[in-house]
Amino acid sequence: MTSVKRIDPRRPYRIGPQGLRRIVLGESGAGDAGAQYRAAAMPKPLRTVISPVRWNMAVAHSLKGRLDDYAREAIAAAAILASADTGVVAVILGAFHEDAAALGADRVIVAADLDAFRFQPGREEAAVRELIGQYAPEHIFMPDNWLGDGDLGRRLMAKQATSRATQVSEIDGEHVAIAWSGGAALAVAPLPRFVLLQAGAVDSNLPFVGAGELQSVQTVADIVEASRDLGLEPTESASIALEEADFIVSAGNGVGNVATLEELARSLDAAVGASRVAVDDGKLPRSKQIGASGKTVSATTYIAVGISGAVQHLQGIKSCRHVIAINRDPGAPIVKRADLTVIGDAEELMQALITRVQQARSQSEAAGAEG
Amino acid sequence: MSAAISVAALVSAGRHPVSGTPRACCGDAVAMALGAGLAGDALRVVHAGDDQEPALRDYLAYGAGRIEVLPMAPDRVAIPMLAKTLSSVDIILTGSKAERGAGSGLLPYLLAEELGRPVIANAIDVKLQGATPVPQVHIRQFLPKGQRRQIACPLPLVIAVHPLAPISLRYAYARRIYGAIDRHSTGYEDANAKELPSWAVEEQSRRPVRLKAPDKKAGHARLLSAIMSEAKSGVVAFEGTSVDKAQVVLNYLREHRLIDF
Repeated sequence: MTSVKRIDPRRPYRIGPQGLRRIVLGESGAGDAGAQYRAAAMPKPLRTVISPVRWNMAVAHSLKGRLDDYAREAIAAAAILASADTGVVAVILGAFHEDAAALGADRVIVAADLDAFRFQPGREEAAVRELIGQYAPEHIFMPDNWLGDGDLGRRLMAKQATSRATQVSEIDGEHVAIAWSGGAALAVAPLPRFVLLQAGAVDSNLPFVGAGELQSVQTVADIVEASRDLGLEPTESASIALEEADFIVSAGNGVGNVATLEELARSLDAAVGASRVAVDDGKLPRSKQIGASGKTVSATTYIAVGISGAVQHLQGIKSCRHVIAINRDPGAPIVKRADLTVIGDAEELMQALITRVQQARSQSEAAGAEG
Repeated sequence: MSAAISVAALVSAGRHPVSGTPRACCGDAVAMALGAGLAGDALRVVHAGDDQEPALRDYLAYGAGRIEVLPMAPDRVAIPMLAKTLSSVDIILTGSKAERGAGSGLLPYLLAEELGRPVIANAIDVKLQGATPVPQVHIRQFLPKGQRRQIACPLPLVIAVHPLAPISLRYAYARRIYGAIDRHSTGYEDANAKELPSWAVEEQSRRPVRLKAPDKKAGHARLLSAIMSEAKSGVVAFEGTSVDKAQVVLNYLREHRLIDF
């Protein structure tokens, strides 16, 4: 009698990039063997150990202490294109509360009082020009965005007679390319000294880290601005277009009472969105729909309440940085996408969250009044 | 609306990004409409380039009564010449970027630098505040995430208008026919006017290649990464009462500085 070779269905496996289970040969035990590899992930190596003789510079504004993807890409470009004896200096305008080394920068210079929400082009220009004079960087990289980096970069370019390129969509060690005549074709030129990068030109996932030395810089105060900043206009989050909103609370099929959701959005100062199902049910107007057949949003924070997360919806929230899901079903696709998932009844959780947020708000106001 | 303040709008020859059809550059047409709101018929509409350009007729249709053309080779705009022509103008309005060629968006900055004036970019609304002894301009500026900012700036200045400025353009065929295009007789050819850097347009259209850091992994690590996904999954909170879970959400928001209380 021949013995049939039995295969243990619970032998070690790893979850592949496509989400498929891949068996691991030559290992004993059971379950996800990849977990131990992931847990003991190797720390990334330092980009270079040689002390720098030249510098590459990246300049970007921060937003509430964090860098957006545009800024990360500019620093990544400076790091990737730096040779072994070239250091990477990142100039951050505005507060900075992130890990400097993980960005790939060897030195991070923080000018905390030059944040993006105050209009002070003269001071920004003076500060950056002084640093450029000090470091004499081989290349300067800035993101080409609406936050003020595109504006500052062009101001600096107009002042300096140096080779430059704006709206760069492709870059490598030798050349840059831009969309010619609005995207019909690409036009290439040799890599200039001053580069303004479009979003997506660089992959900001780096296999190395920088030295990450933090410095803060005092900016010169005695510069008279030609223009006067009259301040930001008070905007009500509910009235901001969904595409522009920074904080969105979104309703799905799991939301029975839309009034609670709107109250939650008010207490968090957020805009209200909806999934297709909620819109089809008439809970919210069509203009609030997020997803493939609705709007594509790029909020920093997205709270999905009672949304299972169909592919079409996830497409619409692709560029949201932080996704928080409130859902009854732990197996819903949104759980895979979300950075934080809370399992439970939507109505109950929303009520609890409203109470907690209002408490926290009044506490911080009381503390602010005392201090 | 004060007649003493002179306003000029710089317009460029636009091209449809897909078909390449000559048309008014969207951003420039918006800037021109904003200028018409400030100065009415006294607005000077200036084009640096070819007076036979078919796209110019579109600007006539959008409300320009008369377009001044400074003859220059296209893509070789001589900033000093342009500055000389516009040196007496108080407010110079431009679009954010050209539709033809590189579209670098540098022109307002270079022009302001040449004229020694302040430049304000991403304007979506411009108002004159003439009551004060020195006339001032109040500019509403576009910022991302739904924010808007008010800026006051003294005259003279250069303003680059954001393409999303809330202005509805009106196209009138009769104006297209009856409008005039005047060519300045003086030569504005500048031998030194060069575009930096010199771009070489590729024949074949392709997607831009993303710059990626070369990954120097050992063979074993490379194979492992091919069968293992990055540890990218969020935290799931099952336990506790709804109050505890609300606290989890609040802690997350606070930890990532998404709320300021």
